Order: sequence, then C-alpha cells, then structure tokens
Amino acid sequence: MKKINRREFVKLASVAGASTFMPEPLKVLRDAIGQIFGTGQHSKVEYVPKPVTNAKFGMVIDLGKCMGCRRCAYACKRENNVPDTISPPYIMVFETESATGTTGHFASPEMMGRGTTMYYTKLRKDKWYMPVQCNHCDNAPCVQVCPTGASYKDPDGYVLIDYDKCIGCRYCMTACPYGARRFNWWEPHVPHDRQNPLVPMRRHGVVEKCTFCVHRTRRGKFTRCVEVCPNKARTFGNFNDPDSEVRKLVENERNFRLKEVLNTGPRIWYLTKPKEKNMQWYRPLPPFDNLRGIMHEKI
Amino acid sequence: MKKFRSLKNKSRSFYIFIAILLAFIAVGQFNWMRYLTHGPGPTGSSDMVPWGIYISGLAYFIGLSAGATIVGLVHHGFGRHDYQPIAIRSIILGLVCIFGATQFVLVDLGVPFRGLKVPIILHNLTSLFLVSSTSYYGFMGILGAELFFSIKVITGKASPREAAISKWLGILAVPYALWVVHAFTGSIFGVVKAREMWNTPMLPVHFVISAIASGFALAIMAGVIISKAEKRDLLGPETYNHMGKLLAFFVLLTVFLDFFDYFILRYSAKLEAMETWDIITTRYITTFVLNIGGLVTAFIMLLYKRWRTANGLLVVGAIIQIAIISYRINLVSVGQLAPLFPGMGHIQYIPTFSEITVALGIIAIVILLYTVLTNVLPVEEIVEKPMHQVRDFGRGFGKAKEAFAESGHMAETFGRGFHKRE
Repeated sequence: MKKINRREFVKLASVAGASTFMPEPLKVLRDAIGQIFGTGQHSKVEYVPKPVTNAKFGMVIDLGKCMGCRRCAYACKRENNVPDTISPPYIMVFETESATGTTGHFASPEMMGRGTTMYYTKLRKDKWYMPVQCNHCDNAPCVQVCPTGASYKDPDGYVLIDYDKCIGCRYCMTACPYGARRFNWWEPHVPHDRQNPLVPMRRHGVVEKCTFCVHRTRRGKFTRCVEVCPNKARTFGNFNDPDSEVRKLVENERNFRLKEVLNTGPRIWYLTKPKEKNMQWYRPLPPFDNLRGIMHEKI
Repeated sequence: MKKFRSLKNKSRSFYIFIAILLAFIAVGQFNWMRYLTHGPGPTGSSDMVPWGIYISGLAYFIGLSAGATIVGLVHHGFGRHDYQPIAIRSIILGLVCIFGATQFVLVDLGVPFRGLKVPIILHNLTSLFLVSSTSYYGFMGILGAELFFSIKVITGKASPREAAISKWLGILAVPYALWVVHAFTGSIFGVVKAREMWNTPMLPVHFVISAIASGFALAIMAGVIISKAEKRDLLGPETYNHMGKLLAFFVLLTVFLDFFDYFILRYSAKLEAMETWDIITTRYITTFVLNIGGLVTAFIMLLYKRWRTANGLLVVGAIIQIAIISYRINLVSVGQLAPLFPGMGHIQYIPTFSEITVALGIIAIVILLYTVLTNVLPVEEIVEKPMHQVRDFGRGFGKAKEAFAESGHMAETFGRGFHKRE
C-alpha cells in the first residue's frame, strides 16, 4: 500500500472533515443571512389584526366556578400551535387550599399554602383551583426590559410578541412575575394537519406566550379558553364598555389580581365568590409532563 | 511604530498550549453550531430558569474587564509608574475580557445573528440589556483607543498630544467602566422586581466592587504568570506589596456588600426571600461557602506581607477568582430557582456537558486572544534598569503634568521595562 506523506494526510483529513460538517455550516450560514437581512417569515400585520379602537380588553376568572379540569390549557395549546416541547403550555392550573378556611373564600395567591401543586390528577371539592397565564399587564415588565421592542403593548390591552424581532435573550422571561412566557428550546413541530393556519409557527430560539387569542378576539370571537370552559368560569370582554359583563363582574364582585403589589397592572381579575353549588365536575385532563427544569413527584 | 513582533521562534510548550486552546475552541464551536441548527435545547436552562452559566459568564467577564481600568488609573492617575509593565497588558486583558463577555451573550441568544442588529436597527430604549450591551461597544472603543495611543507612547512615536490622550483615556475609562458598564450590568438584575434576590439597589454597587476585585486580581495574576513563563521579574516586590494592599481593600468592600446582601435577604424573611435563603443554604451551600469563605480567606491572607508577593498574589488571586465565580453562579441561578408560585415543583438548573464545553470554548478564545495579542503587540519598553527602581511614588496629576512637560516625552517619563533574572 502506498504510503501517504504528512501533506497528503492533512489534505485528506481536511476533505473528510469538511464533507462531514459542511451541511451544518451551510445551514447556519443561510439562517444567519436570513436573520440579519431577512424580513422574517411571518409578518406581524398578516397574523395580528389591527388594534380595536376605544377598547380595553381583559379577562375575569371566577375561582368559585373553576374546577381545575385543565380543558382551557389543552384547548389553548391546540389553538395556538404550541408544540409538545413547550411544557407546561401557556396556562398553568394550580390546586390549592382555601386560604381563609372558615369562610371558604380564596383570598390571594400570596397566601397559597405549601400544599399547592399543579400536578394533581384527581379533583377534590374541598380544594380550590386557579389557572395562571399571561396577565397582559398595563405596566408590563416584559415590555419594559425587551431590548429589541419585540414585546409590545397594544392600546387595546394586549401584550404581544413580534417573532421577527425577538432575539431570544429571555430577559422578558426572567422579568415576568407570573412565569407566563415560554421559550422554543427546540425547533417546534406540530403535525401539519393539526396546525391552526391563523397562528404562525414560531422558529426555535424565540419566546412566545398567551396572546388572549388575538387572532380570534380582534375578529369578534372569544378566546379559546373562554369557549371551552365547561362551567363558564372565564369571561372575556371590553372594560371600556360600561355594559360589558367583565366590567359588571369586577365592579360588583369581590376580586383580586395576581401580585398587585408589584404594580404591573394585570388585566386578569380573579373573582373570589363562594363555590358554585350546582357546578358540574368533569374528569380532569392529565397534568403536563416532560417539564423542562422542574422535578416533581408524581401524585 | 515598531514592527509587530512575531509568533515564530517560540518554545515548544507555547505551541502545545495554543493547540490545547484551539481544541477547546473547536469543541465549543461545534456544540454551539448544534444550538444554531436545532435550537438551544441541549443547555440546562428552562422556562423556569431561563438564564444559565452563560449569563453568569457574562457577568463574570464584564467584571474582569474592570482590571484594565484600575491598573490604568493607578498607573496614570496616581503616578505609580512601576505598574507600567502590566499597563498595556491590562488594556489588552480588558479588551479580550469584554469581547469574551459579548461572546457569552451571543451563545446565550436564541436568534444570535439577529441580536447583532440590536443597538442600531432593533432597539427599545427602556431595556437595560440595550443600555449595557451598547456600553460594551463603547468600552471596547475606549480601550482600543487607549491601546493604540499607549503603544505609540511606548514605541516612542507619540506626539505630546497623543501621549496626553493616552493618559487621559486611561483615567476617563474608569468612571465610564464603573458607572456605565458595570453598574448597568448589575442593574440588568437589579431592576427585575419579579425576583426577590435580584431586586435590590445594592446590586449595581455590588457588581462594581466585585468587578474591581476580580479584575484587578486577574491583572496581577496575568503579570505573575507572564513573569514565570518568561522567567523574568515583570514587577518588583514593592509593586506587589502595593498591589496586595489595594486588593485587600477591594476584597474587604466585596465581603462587606456580600454580607449585607445576604443579611438583609434573610432578615426581611419574605416568602420568596426565605425560599431563596433555603436554596442558598442547602443546594447551593458549596458556592455560598466558596464565595464568602474565599473572600474572607483572601482578605486575611492579604493582611500578611508574605502573601503580598508574586507567588502569594497568584494564590490569593486564584482564591478571589473562585469566590467571585461562585458569587456570579449563585446570583444568576439561585435568583431564578425560587419558584414564582408555590406548587410549581422542585425547580432545578444543572448545566449540561454541551453547555460547559461552549463556555470553556469562549474562555479558551479569551486566553488565546490575550496570548497572541500580548506576544504580537509591543507591550513594554525594554530598558536595562528595572522599573521598580526608577518609580516615582505618589506623584499626583499636577506633578505628573510638570514632569511630562519637563521630559517632553511620555515614553521617557513612564515607560520602563524589565531586567534579566540572575
């Protein structure tokens, strides 16, 4: 066999190395050029309708009616093309004790006890259930800290993300007091036949979160979580309209907002009415697993 | 200007050292490429702990860049001309450290190349990430200019005006570095009201002081290591003694801030503060002990003159680096580990192998750049007399100016070199 000298060996090794790794650098190069010069694959205007004038949207969640069945979380995941690699999805549902035991009223999440969990599998009538998602804050810390302006607040109350501007620094995620934001750690995959064409698929490396179903609500529909709630615990509406149901509920019922002391001005109000007596109890959907960064004991 | 020095005719161990660094860089870059193609999934970060060791690395390396400014201040501002042999090296050290810090940001970003558009095309002026990242570019510019003029001075090609520019850049870099670069990097964490451990006005101050301690210690360590590698005395015993005393002061300040940070966190006894304290004293007890214990040990050692020598400062410097790295890890990780709601479960962050290799790759880039630049650029003037015998103690701004006017040439006043070890 012919001996190869060092020069030839180096040549061969370089060719072998280059052919092994070339497709990756080429892909990266194409992506890099797209990131720097591209206008992005999803334009904000196309998917997000224009803000509604003279409106201020918000949501009211009646904790006396919520039975913690997680239907809102699953429906939201399906509606917004959230991949399985994002877990938990946009809505987390907590099971907790009654904070003021004697009256049976849920006071505030700051008083939630150590027994609180989001991994329950059976519903209990003596427990309280509280869904948590993006609060679309009026003084949103995530909007304040975003270096690119990808997170923005619209005048009609929505906090949204422009996926073409997000650089994935995750400052908004550390700044959000509600843990409402999710990051695409992997390339998101949702089967084509299950994709909602009204919601853009995100790329890996960008942040996403609850949009109050902006593609539906600005076209006159309710959010998906409001539609699927079997006990009608959720209400969505325009707070600028004095006759709207949300306005009446917040004006007439005892309520709180999450972590109000931080002055974020959340746009989700929780009603602390007593438990509904005629409430339908459904079988709960299973808790989300494959949670990244969380260890929990299976119940 | 003198011709660039060459990397040829170095010892065999020098090339082996470079090859090892290149190997680390290759592994790191390969793993980073996986993030670029498939997303940063292989890291240990999660939606609950969005920032991992890359942000710790950013905070640590930004801090190290302070070393350059402090040496420059002591040299130019306080007239300690015996610091001259490490003055230009420290500027290079500051430059490569701030470059390393930007690399940590780059690998942390989900869409890194879009991130390059940040200050000019994409911007939101209320974001402290924008303010601090823009300040890094400014700092690189200042250090680059300082390096350019200092080299002109040292090679004897500088006009008096350029020599003055070099000196004033060295002095003005200090307020810029401390008030703009480090304080705003601390504020990145300090303004986050969602996280109990971060949301304190002490944090910017803490960042500035710990940056000075770690940066100055690294500048001294670099001087000692180069002296050992090149088998000559770069600095004299009196200079080391002075450095040790300065370092002791900065370490004491850092311990003071550390103590009151933790004290107030524990004493306030808020729910999240208690959770944080619980995590610090159980899962993160190692880094906590390394942080506080390391700084206290370093301070006590520096009180003795025998540790304020070349070898002593190398050991103390290493202890300080470990202590400050531990502080950065604790700050970034523990700050996010306290759950935002009870019932989220046991939140954890464990850096993955891939994540560590990328971080080591960046550290290798920093060391490689420093090694190459200090070997290629003219970093010190070579004269026969050792610098520590001709230094001029305690000369203030006015006297330095007079001396400068008398000599008419910066290089004659400031630049001195080394002597062969007998």
